[in-house]
Amino acid sequence: QVRGYPEFVRTAQSYHGRPIFALFCGDKDAEGKSWCPDCVTAEPVVRKELHNLPDESVFIYCLVGDRAYWKDPNNEFRKNLKLTAVPTLLKYGTPQKLVEEECFKAELVRMLFTED
Amino acid sequence: SVQAHKEEDNPQKTMEVNGLTPVLDSYDYDLIVIGGGSGGLAAAKEAAKYEKKVMVLDFVTPTPQGSSWGLGGTCVNVGCIPKKLMHQAALLGQALQDSRKFGWQFTEEVKHNWMTMTESVQNYIGSLNWGYRVALRDKKVTYENAYGEFVGPHTIKATNKKGIEKLYTAERFIIATGERPRYLGIPGDKEYCVSSDDLFSLPYCPGKTLVVGASYVALECAGFLAGLGLDVTVMVRSILLRGFDQDMANRIGEYMKEHGVNFIREFVPIKVEQVEEGTPGILKVTAKSTAGDQMIEGEYNTVLLAIGRDPCTRKIGLDKVKVNINEKTGKIPVNDEEQTNVPYIYAIGDILQDKLELTPVAIQAGRLLVQRLYAGATTKCDYVNVPTTVFTPLEYGACGYSEETAVEKFGEENIEVYHSHFWPLEWTVPSRDNNKCYAKIICNIQDNERVIGFHVLGPNAGEVTQGFATAIKCGLTKEQLDSTVGIHPVCAEV
Repeated sequence: QVRGYPEFVRTAQSYHGRPIFALFCGDKDAEGKSWCPDCVTAEPVVRKELHNLPDESVFIYCLVGDRAYWKDPNNEFRKNLKLTAVPTLLKYGTPQKLVEEECFKAELVRMLFTED
Repeated sequence: SVQAHKEEDNPQKTMEVNGLTPVLDSYDYDLIVIGGGSGGLAAAKEAAKYEKKVMVLDFVTPTPQGSSWGLGGTCVNVGCIPKKLMHQAALLGQALQDSRKFGWQFTEEVKHNWMTMTESVQNYIGSLNWGYRVALRDKKVTYENAYGEFVGPHTIKATNKKGIEKLYTAERFIIATGERPRYLGIPGDKEYCVSSDDLFSLPYCPGKTLVVGASYVALECAGFLAGLGLDVTVMVRSILLRGFDQDMANRIGEYMKEHGVNFIREFVPIKVEQVEEGTPGILKVTAKSTAGDQMIEGEYNTVLLAIGRDPCTRKIGLDKVKVNINEKTGKIPVNDEEQTNVPYIYAIGDILQDKLELTPVAIQAGRLLVQRLYAGATTKCDYVNVPTTVFTPLEYGACGYSEETAVEKFGEENIEVYHSHFWPLEWTVPSRDNNKCYAKIICNIQDNERVIGFHVLGPNAGEVTQGFATAIKCGLTKEQLDSTVGIHPVCAEV
């Protein structure tokens, strides 16, 4: 689990050579609830499919920041990772990703984790 | 008793006697689509809308050079999409040159990096492949990356890349297997030459290139390669763009020649040899004249074959289900409802005999077919007045008859051709050609001067042509065209 863009990049680089899957969500408050309602829905669905991750792969759960940071069209996640929304679940370094309601569907999450 | 025994032996017969039909084994699927390209995917997604159980089989046999690609078919992976993006890359190069005349100042030499362009293009294509897989899974269409072939009535064998075979049955099938580039059948062609299947993912800059062929694929590829700064030669056996309006075809060729593309006319390669290995290496091509005994040789880094495409219908077991194909061309004849001679087997897309080989046509045919099968629709695909665009350096948009075909069909005295050169405003300042852009319409005098052919050669030809295609579909006449006020200053106002 990481928070913010620099930490995400450092962590991803440290696992260079292994398949990396990442889920990007909005920050959570003191009670552990995210400001992003879709992220609240998606997280349990994704976590339930984690056992389908391929061997050797890494799963990074990344909190992007608070709502104001996310809304800024120039934030590093939008600019450098080309993220368009949270939640986004992606296979790092490939064009394969699921965005928003796509993350609610266990079938699609499983497809992302298990198929080429 | 004997009678009871008999009934037990033949429960089916008893049921028939009672007026009930025997229960058949149900099929695995309502519909199996063989081929996940433009037509196949459109048909599959449409069928899923009507809650049918659908399977799509898509498999790419790697090219002789080892190239392969994901779900989506030719258009997405090795056709329209990468072609248009690379054409755009070339246009941007031209725009950079023009920009100086409009006041932009830059001192650095502008160079092109093939790898940067190719990576971006392939990345985009990858997102499309993934998008299709998400769409199919989301709509509960079963997709298998496996080679499909018929093995018996209603039955198909799917072989995946590991060689594992599975059998599936379906009530109906749609064949949408598309085509692959043709090879010359000369020594060295498969070992050393590339095709459009390889070009868009080539992991090195092609360098000095010989393009063999005069199809739109050949001219479009030659066009953008030259636009990116490469030394390009096109070897043409006879005419350019067979099937297209020949006056327009020749204008396209002239423009390309004047802008740095070399043409070798009336020659065909007879062998390709490797002089030096490498990425790219050096190849020696020997060619023979079609008009005599003259032989020529040339050395190139890359030889791109674009001499035609052949349907993928020879090895899919059509003989096992007795589907007729044209033995010579491999194309499948269908009726106006895309049905083959076997009632439960349909075909769409490039493999059809006497139909246009275009993505939007395949998509339209696929969707309407499925709507007729499962939604009670009756609309058939309209193959008439389909607009097209060739993305050569000077783009060519067309809809309807070529001048030759119009003369043949209606008689020279019954058609009137109105034409005009035009000079795009954007070309004036940078002093680009003032007499190359050209437009013509062909009218049927006997039918109110109805516009039966539309041809435009100039920038953004595709954008210009689309609207006119609708007008032609509505029965556009010359008078209506004349009475439409032009938008100024745009090319389309001509």
